[in-house]
Amino acid sequence: MPEEPAYSSAEEPQLVEWAKSGDMQAFEELVARYRDRIYVRAYSIMRNEDLAVDLSQNAWVKAWQRLEQFHGEASFPTWLSRIVTNLCLDELRRQKRARMDSIEAMEEATGPVENRMELETVDPIEGLGREELRERIDAALAKLSDKHRTVIVLYEFEQFEYREIAEKMGTSIGTVMSRLFYARKRMASLLKETLKRDGLIE
Amino acid sequence: MNENETQLKIQALVDGELTGREAEELRARLESDGGLRALHARLTAVRGLMAGAELPRTLPESGDFHWSQISKAIGHGEREARRLAKPALGANWLLRWVMPLAGVACLVLVLSRQQTTMPDLNILLGGDHELELTDDEIDVMTFNTGDDAISIVWLDYSIDLQQDSLQLWLD
Repeated sequence: MPEEPAYSSAEEPQLVEWAKSGDMQAFEELVARYRDRIYVRAYSIMRNEDLAVDLSQNAWVKAWQRLEQFHGEASFPTWLSRIVTNLCLDELRRQKRARMDSIEAMEEATGPVENRMELETVDPIEGLGREELRERIDAALAKLSDKHRTVIVLYEFEQFEYREIAEKMGTSIGTVMSRLFYARKRMASLLKETLKRDGLIE
Repeated sequence: MNENETQLKIQALVDGELTGREAEELRARLESDGGLRALHARLTAVRGLMAGAELPRTLPESGDFHWSQISKAIGHGEREARRLAKPALGANWLLRWVMPLAGVACLVLVLSRQQTTMPDLNILLGGDHELELTDDEIDVMTFNTGDDAISIVWLDYSIDLQQDSLQLWLD
């Protein structure tokens, strides 16, 4: 009887090859290794726990169905991250069709929001722990509109270029630049408020 | 270049998306414009804050449950794909037996209907219709009864039988 492969100690490319040949246990090991990372990406964009879990699961199912298309140009988790990002963007488009986006409504009434804000000065805070700063950044991201948060997450965390974001979001590069600029100004403003409130800056 | 456009270009410079002569020109403007330099510094600072700042999270359900949901969905998807890829058992049976039999049945029906058609007076014997001729043309007479399923035709070939000389009453 052939010995069962040692999944937990196997290298990622080997697991991917086994999974491609239909080995579900190898795929299960890949899920165990990257499930949190995929969930984080979905949560960063959607800001909704249940949706992020559902979209993460869908991403894994799609990854299994499309494993033959993975040829290792990017790493496996990067490839997966792109799948879950695409699913999140589809979900946002679906939601947008169902409701009027508040920022767009405001812009239609009063002109582009981007032009009405000044960029706050934010210094990287010495003495503030990285983890603490991450939590504040996370809280600030939650206050952005879907479209501004998506642009900044895709640019800063997913490492997309302007052109890729424009393609994914079905918009122009100019719009991406404008949304990213606004998102950064808003993040700076929100971070300054929260750091001031907590007495971490003057 | 208006102010908004300049701001977006400064941002593109910070992000490394602006290259070539345009980038050189903007760098030259930064040397002489304090406002633009301040904007460049702020955008660089925000970028620095955001880099790698995605908060790590743990899936809010157990790994086993998460996997069970995924494997269930994969199994369902594969069953569905197989179902769509080949005709169902019922459809196979239909294609193999019922369709040829239906063809044969249609052929038999057509042939049997052809046999009930009378040659060439354009008079069909069918139903309970009774055909009568006037007294003057007694040389040809047809009697049809539905009750007994019998048709009787008397023909006298001594007359010249013309179709238009017949008067038909159908009841």
